[in-house]
Amino acid sequence: MRPLPAASWPSAADDAPPPRLAEDMLYCGLQGRALEASVRDLVEAGELPKRFAGFRVDARGVAVACAMRPPPAGGDICCPGPLSPGPALAFGATPLEFLRHAAGKGTAPASARAGSSGWSDLHADGDPDAFPRRTAGFGCWTDLRLGLLGCDGPPGSMTQVAAGAAFAFRRRGEASAALVFEERAALETGRWHEAMSFAAALRAPLIVVVAPVQGAPESALDLAAAGANYGLEVISLAGEPLARMHERAAEVRRRVVDGGGPALLDLGPSGAADWPGRDGDAWRRAERAAAAAVQSAVDRLAKEPRAPTAAALAPVLSGVPVRPHWTRSDPPSPSAGGPSPELPSAAPEPVGQARPRMQPAARPSPSSPSAAPHAG
Amino acid sequence: MPADPLPPPSSPRGPVPPRADPAAPSSPGRPGDARPSPPEQAGRTRSGQPATFLEAIAEALWEEMERDERVFLMGEDIGAYGGAFKVTRGFLDRFGPLRVVDTPIAEGGFTGAAAGAAHMGLRPVVEMQFMDFVSPAYDVLTNYVATSLYRGAGPLPLVVRGPVGGGARAGPFHSQNVEMAFFHTPGLKIVYPSTPRDAKGLLKSAVRDDNPVIFEEHKGLYRAPQFRELLPAEDYAIPLGKARVALEGEDLTIVTYGLMVHRCLEAAAALARDRIRAEVIDLRTLLPLDEDAIAASVEKTSKLLIVHEDTRTGGIAGEIAIRMNERAFEWLDGPILRVTAIDSPVPFAASLEDYFLPSAADVVTAGRYLFNY
Repeated sequence: MRPLPAASWPSAADDAPPPRLAEDMLYCGLQGRALEASVRDLVEAGELPKRFAGFRVDARGVAVACAMRPPPAGGDICCPGPLSPGPALAFGATPLEFLRHAAGKGTAPASARAGSSGWSDLHADGDPDAFPRRTAGFGCWTDLRLGLLGCDGPPGSMTQVAAGAAFAFRRRGEASAALVFEERAALETGRWHEAMSFAAALRAPLIVVVAPVQGAPESALDLAAAGANYGLEVISLAGEPLARMHERAAEVRRRVVDGGGPALLDLGPSGAADWPGRDGDAWRRAERAAAAAVQSAVDRLAKEPRAPTAAALAPVLSGVPVRPHWTRSDPPSPSAGGPSPELPSAAPEPVGQARPRMQPAARPSPSSPSAAPHAG
Repeated sequence: MPADPLPPPSSPRGPVPPRADPAAPSSPGRPGDARPSPPEQAGRTRSGQPATFLEAIAEALWEEMERDERVFLMGEDIGAYGGAFKVTRGFLDRFGPLRVVDTPIAEGGFTGAAAGAAHMGLRPVVEMQFMDFVSPAYDVLTNYVATSLYRGAGPLPLVVRGPVGGGARAGPFHSQNVEMAFFHTPGLKIVYPSTPRDAKGLLKSAVRDDNPVIFEEHKGLYRAPQFRELLPAEDYAIPLGKARVALEGEDLTIVTYGLMVHRCLEAAAALARDRIRAEVIDLRTLLPLDEDAIAASVEKTSKLLIVHEDTRTGGIAGEIAIRMNERAFEWLDGPILRVTAIDSPVPFAASLEDYFLPSAADVVTAGRYLFNY
């Protein structure tokens, strides 16, 4: 594991979160840090695709997500989006689940049927050939038991889904909130504005965290002005210490759950905050535990199977049996629409009375069907 | 601003059992019915009157909302205005703004929001003012909603319903049939009923289904008085994925759906005068396609004609034809033919639209050709 920066955690005693919380946050954050190193090793060993070479966890996403109340204690949901997997770790996902997912293992959530679109970054220590070159990554990995909804769509799309989840909380009177991380490019999309309009009109308990993740400018639009369109004040967390980010996110959560309508948080420029180092028992405990968890995950990953091809035949409709095409694995069988995966392959059986092709006694003129403009 | 008064919290997520309205008796339409009276368009059956197609849709929605408080409606102008076609007139008064949600004009946005609500255990029914407008929601429906179960995000119960079809002189943007835009997407179901009875029963099944369903309602059927039907008084649902034989015959199979069922029945009557007995199969559900029903009919008649109002290229006729080629080739005694709309945007002028749309006469011509082949 590479050395941690020497900045203090927390920077001042006044900013210190409650010790237990600080330890939890550190644990999640340090898991992310340990994952960064392990992923790099796995890429070098050829166990993970090269695009993961610059994988990096943004500590700010962890700090904000730790302010939420995920299941089972609470009912919040989170769409980690471009800051994945930091917020997912804060919501209880394990490093092993992340690694299984990245490696396309059959034991991954959804048996590796859905995957990332990349985890890489622009940092100097990242692989210069990595593409896409983002500061973090996307995780399509979804686990509703943990309250996680994976990113699956272009910028702005998960704000739509999160807005609907927040609406459901409001309709049922639940004290829960939906948290979604979006890259700044979302401001350029109609999807995002449609979702913000919907959430604002219904005062849904939605928290949208915006962070720039590209190297190039993502949007010339001003976030504060965009928020003002929906009567929302933008809360800037840029440059704040992690503990303060967490505290403010917790305040925002309380406000939206109390019916205050959606909230917009601005994380500011990429990489402005990082996991600082700190000498102290809590920090050392968290570091040891996180490193052990990640190492255990790496060890176990090597023993787990790749996704079996049969997983590709997973149902896409609930309650409708999978019927693979006969051309893939079995000869045609007129008696059925296709072989069932549960059934052994069978030679084609003649079904019904095969009729000889009859020659019509008086075949109509070929022009007949086309006489009708729509037939033929 | 505090949130509106709401029902007590239920399970944060996952399956939530339906909760019936305590005021609702188990059997509708009986004397002493204590439930709140539905608006006129959703109460024909309760008052013992035959219902139009539109009224059957309204009844299905009303009854499902009474039956299951997880069901809610979203769409443009469906609340205060009652919907562009007044399907939901009066629903807002009964169910309130959190179950009849007037949305901004942003189909992609509110369909995505419906997906999020469905993840949280609600059962949204999204109305497209015209199904032509579903295209902004194509992204979320195909990329997010349809892949939900496969990706491990669980079933996503969501109905997107709305009016389709031509003949109303409404031009290219209010007349389309959208089924084939979605037919190619694994993970969706597509329903396209042809009668009030089917519309009500299929819509109830769609609302109760755990999968996303595109539900198409032909405008030409909405208020057509000749299609009024006395609907069953009891709660009933028609299973998705099962076709019906609209007319039995032995000489020729005509496979169709939606308004074209009635065109084909008209054509079948004309063919019968020539002693050609056509069997008309009403698909009812396009996805999953009831291939067995088509094959069974082809085995009987050995001739297959497919009729749809949608345009020809990439229409469902092509898919049915190849499936029967794979499965029922030995039974066929002639080419598989199709009668469809012309590959063109839907024209506005009456003369152009009439030429564009398939007619009963077209079906008769093709039917005669096939019979004599």
